[in-house]
Amino acid sequence: MAKGSKVSANIVMTIVIIWLLIPLAATIVYSLFEDWTGIIPKGFTLANYELIFSDSSFLTAMYQTVLICIVPIVITIILVLLALFVVTVYFPRLEKYMQILCMIPYTIQGVILSVSILVLYAKNGSILSDRMVMLIGAYCIIILPHIYNGIRNGMRAINMNMLLEAAEMLGDSKLKAFFKVIVPNIITGITVSSLLAVSLLFGDYVIIRNLSSTNVNNMQKFLYQAMKRSSTEASAVFVVIMLITCAITAIVLSLQSRSGAEKVSKQGE
Amino acid sequence: MSYIRFENINKSFGSNHVLKDINLEVEKGRLVTLLGPSGCGKSTLLRCLAGLEQVSDGHIYLDGQEITDIVPRKRGIGMVFQQYSLFPNKNVRDNVAYGLKLKKMPKAQIQQKVEEMLDIVGLSDKIDQYPSSLSGGQQQRVALARAMVTAPKVLLLDEPLSAIDALLRKNLQIEIRRIQQQLGITTIFVTHDQDEAMVMSDMIHLFHDGRIEQSGTPEQIYTSPATKFAATFIGNYNLLKTEDFNRIFRADLPGNDVAVRPEIVQLGRTDEKENPRELMAEGIIVNHIPHGSLIRYQVDCQGISLNADVVFEKQMEFHEGDHVFVRVDPDLVIRL
Amino acid sequence: MVKKGRLKTVSNRSMRYYYLLALLPFLFLVVMYELLPLIMLIIDSFQLDKDPSVAFTLDNYIKIFSTLSYKTAILNSLKITFISTAVGIVIAFLGARAAHNSRGKFRNVFLTVLNMTSNFAGVPLAFAYMIILGNAGVIKQIANMYGIGFLQNFDLYTSTGLTIMYIYFQIPLSTLLLIPSFNGIRKEWSEANMLLGGTNAQFWGHVGIPMLLPSIFSTISVLFANALCAYATAYALLMNNFSLLPVNISASFVGDIKTKPKLGAALSVVMMLILCIVILINNYITKKTAKWESR
Repeated sequence: MAKGSKVSANIVMTIVIIWLLIPLAATIVYSLFEDWTGIIPKGFTLANYELIFSDSSFLTAMYQTVLICIVPIVITIILVLLALFVVTVYFPRLEKYMQILCMIPYTIQGVILSVSILVLYAKNGSILSDRMVMLIGAYCIIILPHIYNGIRNGMRAINMNMLLEAAEMLGDSKLKAFFKVIVPNIITGITVSSLLAVSLLFGDYVIIRNLSSTNVNNMQKFLYQAMKRSSTEASAVFVVIMLITCAITAIVLSLQSRSGAEKVSKQGE
Repeated sequence: MSYIRFENINKSFGSNHVLKDINLEVEKGRLVTLLGPSGCGKSTLLRCLAGLEQVSDGHIYLDGQEITDIVPRKRGIGMVFQQYSLFPNKNVRDNVAYGLKLKKMPKAQIQQKVEEMLDIVGLSDKIDQYPSSLSGGQQQRVALARAMVTAPKVLLLDEPLSAIDALLRKNLQIEIRRIQQQLGITTIFVTHDQDEAMVMSDMIHLFHDGRIEQSGTPEQIYTSPATKFAATFIGNYNLLKTEDFNRIFRADLPGNDVAVRPEIVQLGRTDEKENPRELMAEGIIVNHIPHGSLIRYQVDCQGISLNADVVFEKQMEFHEGDHVFVRVDPDLVIRL
Repeated sequence: MVKKGRLKTVSNRSMRYYYLLALLPFLFLVVMYELLPLIMLIIDSFQLDKDPSVAFTLDNYIKIFSTLSYKTAILNSLKITFISTAVGIVIAFLGARAAHNSRGKFRNVFLTVLNMTSNFAGVPLAFAYMIILGNAGVIKQIANMYGIGFLQNFDLYTSTGLTIMYIYFQIPLSTLLLIPSFNGIRKEWSEANMLLGGTNAQFWGHVGIPMLLPSIFSTISVLFANALCAYATAYALLMNNFSLLPVNISASFVGDIKTKPKLGAALSVVMMLILCIVILINNYITKKTAKWESR
């Protein structure tokens, strides 16, 4: 009985793994060969990668992707930290309203958020109608739930009020103590949630398509354009995107397992 | 012929040999306890009987039929687990009715049986409640009802009271014993608590390190432990090397070890003997701990520590540092 | 203790309100880029593209539910969402149960693959499927060589092709969401079921799945939102040629043809309402099952 369930478990997992890996593996192989019309691909080549890495518009897209990922994340982290500090320490009754505000983006999602911002500010004429400002604003909102949860869970895990009072008795102001004592204690949680935010923004296509001007590209937009030009070139772009995504996932997993291990060892003591 | 028979049972988990050549028989209608410290294999043997574990070697017979390779659901066994075994999404009625429904029993009959059984365990008024609103003791009584309502051939109780607090536990012990005798159901009870085993059992099998160390009635197990382990695990025997015992009591008993029950250790202020056969030693009171109606004195006799249980009487109380005479009846001293 | 706390807040009361200033940047962001756009969108949905002087009208909504092309978009979206969610949750259940039942290396490989592919959606996913199943796709060509009929005739650029891709991106996400909830299924329950005469299937039917229901439904609502709002996958594969709610919404604001932002706003509100219904159902089920949880 127990053996039977183990065998069926392995069959299920094998099927799912194969199903999930086929498109990935096939595209990777496709990007590395000149000709793949039979079963066995022929003519190993790195030409596709040479091509994209010598293409200045690809490098620009990469650079812009990094920029438009990092700026909103930094802004959102700082604003949420400040707000959560004030709310949890001085106005605990506002907590649930803050939570609602931070959770709404889950239900709006990319399409509606981008068009609603576009229609509101596009014809405004001020700095608000700047495409980059709109994009960053939208990105801040779309990652808000993740950043909020990361910071909030981190604060719950430590006894924030006690730590603050202890620091205060040692002569620090609460705000100073917050950044000196609390933030370093929850930095892993913040890192993990910002990495999740990175992968979210990194995978965005709809918001940047709707909000940005044509000269601002991220990798997804670049892939879309490359797809229309040449599938071999696009396959190399695809592999680069997947590598970066996997790298982010790997960092998140290792951070999570490390902080998990820390917790376990602390409990053990 | 016995009702349940284990024949040369061996069980290993990987390289861990947890049951070693177990041979054990249980008669119909009895409550038999497997007693031992955690990790001694007692629960594993129970789970082998239920079919939740496969034996590595050996045979199990139930009611004249070999069941070693039969799937659990066809063995006709009821079981109560340590805790958390009730289905949380079903109320008390549906939990108890579960086995009967699977047997496709007519509805009216199910209802009647469920109500009967809940009446026996004294929970008729909780019939529509969900497990989460019951106390731990009530949950275990529902689990008992659920296990018994299908009229199993054997009822297995795997430390069912270990998660319940002391006072309630005593009541449940008596109640389970009452229900077992009322229904005459053959029951195997697993516990690590020797008092519990004493209260409930017709027969106790003491387990140690994958083997049966000693079998007997509660009285036999309590009054004549067969091995050093049995003496340490049952009661609070004073375990001494025979040479130490002979030295402090000026006696000449043979053998390596002796076990002395604390109740037979008598204390006095003078060297008067109650009967001439008594052995006597001198000692200093080191400590006293009240144990309900008893006081346990720890006495130091020439560097050997002895425990003596004395019925609490105000005027007899000794104090730390008192010089006392210690008497034992040599016929009650157990040579191991 | 209480007294001390009160004294402290009295002395700090004026200071306390200074700290409200630290809330302002956050509020600015949320108001400007979340609340205001949302409110304006809802207001817009009751106005007309042709005639801006009308202050309040339901015309947009009437038009949506009486025009075939919009109805098709909603139905297409619902259909693909339902199918991909249903298939996704079934596979997730099987996958999570498998991961729960196994230990060791193979399980880790499984979890790694799930994590790796959990962000695999949108444009890259559509592209990878074009490479393997597109008109000149690798698998297609192999199928042609060996004459495997159903693969030869498979057309990726249809709602079936799109549904397969949606199912693909639902699987890792839903499996990862469900795995932790299996830890709540206690071994004693399935053992008790066995001894009471139940089969494995009866256990899952009577106890296992009911106990997982809250997690299953919250996963369903995530999957539902995920599929309903997905834009990039569909757009990258079929551009504006396949009518779906998010594609239509986007096209009525940004596009080559004449834009209709007010109508698009109404479409957006419809989509949000559908999401809200799913969330409400989810809350209802969570509430219903709350009585099972231990105190």
